[in-house]
Amino acid sequence: MAEKRDSLRCRWPALLAALLGGCSLLSPAPPERPVPGAAPPAAREVGAAPLNPPSPGAEAPLQSPVPTRQYQLGPAAQSLVTQARAQVVRGDLPSASVSLDRALRIEPTNPLLWIELGRLRLAENDAHQAEGCGRKALALASGDRSARAQAGRVLADALRAQRRNQEAHDLENQPWMN
Amino acid sequence: MARPSARRRRILVIAGGGLALVTLALVGWVIYLDRLVTREFQGRLWSVPARVFAEPLELYAGAPVSADDLEQELKRLHYRTGDPASGPGLYRRRGGDFDLQARRVRFVDELREPARLRVRAGSAAIASLQRADGTDLPLFRLDPLLVGSVFPVHGEDRIVLTPAEVPPLLRAAVKTIEDRRFDEHHGVDLRSILRALWANLRAGHVTQGGSTLTQQLVKNYFLSDEQSLTRKVTEAVMAVRLEARFSKEDILVAYLNEVYLGQDGERAVHGFGLGSEFYFAKPLDELDVGELALLVGLVKGPSHYDPRKHADRALARRNLVLQQLAEEHVIDAATASRAVQRPLGLRAPGSAYVPAYLDLVRRHLKRDYAEADLRAAGLSVYTTLDPRAQAAAERALIRQLRALDPPGHSRNGQLEGAIIVAEPNSGDVVAVVGGREVGADGFNRALDARRPIGSLVKPAIYLAALETGRYTAASILEDAPLSLTLGDGSIWAPQNYTREVYGPVPVARALAESMNLATVHLGLDVGLGKVADTLQQLGLAQRPALNPSLLLGSVELTPLEVVQIYTALANGGFRARLRAVRAVLDEHGTPLRSFKVQVEAAAPPAAVYQLDRMLMLVTTRGTGRGAAARLPAGTVVAAKTGTSSDTRDSWFAGITGRYLAVAWVGYDDNRVTGLTGASGALPVWADAIASLKPVSFDPVTPESVDDRWIEYATGLETTPACSADAVLVAVPKGTVLPGKPGCGGTRSDTTADKLRTWLRNAIH
Repeated sequence: MAEKRDSLRCRWPALLAALLGGCSLLSPAPPERPVPGAAPPAAREVGAAPLNPPSPGAEAPLQSPVPTRQYQLGPAAQSLVTQARAQVVRGDLPSASVSLDRALRIEPTNPLLWIELGRLRLAENDAHQAEGCGRKALALASGDRSARAQAGRVLADALRAQRRNQEAHDLENQPWMN
Repeated sequence: MARPSARRRRILVIAGGGLALVTLALVGWVIYLDRLVTREFQGRLWSVPARVFAEPLELYAGAPVSADDLEQELKRLHYRTGDPASGPGLYRRRGGDFDLQARRVRFVDELREPARLRVRAGSAAIASLQRADGTDLPLFRLDPLLVGSVFPVHGEDRIVLTPAEVPPLLRAAVKTIEDRRFDEHHGVDLRSILRALWANLRAGHVTQGGSTLTQQLVKNYFLSDEQSLTRKVTEAVMAVRLEARFSKEDILVAYLNEVYLGQDGERAVHGFGLGSEFYFAKPLDELDVGELALLVGLVKGPSHYDPRKHADRALARRNLVLQQLAEEHVIDAATASRAVQRPLGLRAPGSAYVPAYLDLVRRHLKRDYAEADLRAAGLSVYTTLDPRAQAAAERALIRQLRALDPPGHSRNGQLEGAIIVAEPNSGDVVAVVGGREVGADGFNRALDARRPIGSLVKPAIYLAALETGRYTAASILEDAPLSLTLGDGSIWAPQNYTREVYGPVPVARALAESMNLATVHLGLDVGLGKVADTLQQLGLAQRPALNPSLLLGSVELTPLEVVQIYTALANGGFRARLRAVRAVLDEHGTPLRSFKVQVEAAAPPAAVYQLDRMLMLVTTRGTGRGAAARLPAGTVVAAKTGTSSDTRDSWFAGITGRYLAVAWVGYDDNRVTGLTGASGALPVWADAIASLKPVSFDPVTPESVDDRWIEYATGLETTPACSADAVLVAVPKGTVLPGKPGCGGTRSDTTADKLRTWLRNAIH
């Protein structure tokens, strides 16, 4: 729970992050999902304008970038996270849970809080919920490389705790995890 | 000689034996009573119903709480204006600056002592928060509002005081008025019995009771109300044994917690702790002399002196008590005469009763607790109820149903409705309204009205379609008539609500305008099984029947079940288990159980994001346009309307940046309403959300998806500059869309695009 590497603060200065984000646009990660339009749907056959298959040309990756960003916590949520960490150190996991619950009420879509909650669930040996938190953090952290990597680590740990080592391994080999 | 003496001896033996037996029986009886008193009193468990608390309001710089909101909240919590230095529960406001002393309150994780606080609030939000010494405070929570109790056993309700919580003045006053020799006697006070007897003899009827506090306690705690000599004797014996076994302090505090002080419908108000809340809406330690004197005076006859029914009697009684307290030097004469001048100072107890929400809490807790424990074990239940959202939802439902009532309607069988508001990320249910009689226990439509959901099912169909990867928001569907022969040989030929046929339409438009024919074509192509799978992934508990009518929402759900399904849509594809209870504490404040946030991946975030973008079009271009008009300009809402067959049920589900809310309107007897989702449930939803400072729904764009402009009517890619009919949709990255002729490239023109172009040029 108290690993050093999991500092909440983003380590990348904003400019560097922006540049990295920008560079990554030029060499994007492979699409996560199967390409749309591969098999024409039956209902579409009666339609007027069929869906074009995606062109594999150089233009495709340039469609539109995901804006890079850097999530931070506001002072109120930050103070609750600090409090929760102190409670974890004291071994008072239930109070830590209450503190993070309060923080989530203030910033329910901040991935950093879901990362924190995922770590707490790991400390509670609740790998299943840790997985949920990790996945949610990962989804919310879109565009924030550092937050994504942290969320990915929580998720990998949660998968491993459920003996899903191959999934954890695959996750850790994602380019954005490093 | 010998005979009579022998007989006498026999008589003596019999008499002696009899006497011994009687004595033995008496001793046995006394021992029995002693045991009873000791056992019962030692392990005394006040019958204390579970108390239910709302979510406390969190104050922090930037919290969306205006100065007026803050004052309203303080009033809701029965804070009074006054010098905050002089005690808890007092505040002072100057413009947006507040100075207050918060009360001693228990939260799930801490017991907080009274604390001074300075708050600066603006017209929209909290600006800053400081301790009394001027140092900044990151956040502070106000008292959790008590919103009710799970209904008590025999109607007996109380707030139990610990010895430390009993104000010294209350001890002194109760002894002075009810039992002056309490500290000297041993349970029974012969002198006062004789005095009472004499007074009663002279009057010819009972005017005085000679009972000590101990006897009154014994009577209330162990015995019936029956007036008989046996009971009197039993009471006296038990009182003496109680005094022999327990300290005066124990007995006095028990008395203060036991005593009956009034009636609230079926609820009996016991103890000074609850008495204070019931008559003055504040904790005991905040009562002034006059208020305490009234409560003490009520002991003699709570219904005779009922201050709400017989204010004159109550006032006279209070003043008599004050006078006696002054005579006995418990208070000084000046204090007494000042208090006599003041009105009774009654205030309505607590806040509005929220039976529909409490119903949800009770069901939630019944999974873990026996009904008897909820009614008597003194639990504290901390819920996710937001009193502001609850009030807004109640107001909205009442007001809008009134506006929707057909002319000449009767109160019997009138239009009904329900609304639930939730925070979708955590699954916290913040408000539940189960009908227009918001203050009454009754049919809770929010939890129990199971109705066909109509077009509210459609997002699940479109989500299933997006998940296949074969459709995007810009794909073209055919809105054309169809008829199917069902398994039973009947013909199913659905129609659009408008009875029109629209021909080829983009997916996004078919959903926004809730076109039945296009949707049925889509659903049949995707497959009923896949649609049912999606519904179950989203949280539908039971697999629906795989009839084609499923595609038009024949599945019957309660508003609560609809909320559960829509959380995943409001939440990037994560299902958050709905939660009304955060934690349960026992009577000592020890946490017994907590209910954590539970999230699980239910649907791919990318597909849900694409769907959400389309649901936003519902309120800008489709059937939910009316919602936008009722909210602040520019508020982005993702929503869906639903109307069941022949307008029997009107539904609206809508997602804003902070809340997911679902409203239903219909008749209990399932009559035709003539209302669509847009004309019935939508106004209820919008009215509630509008008063909750709505912020725009702004889902995170997954990295595998792009926001793109298409022409609403044709699905062709365009730009806002090129087409007045351009709408924003999301498609998987790399999707090439057919462009609108003459509209240039297929690229959108966002800031991010410009940055990318700039970067590319800079590098090359």
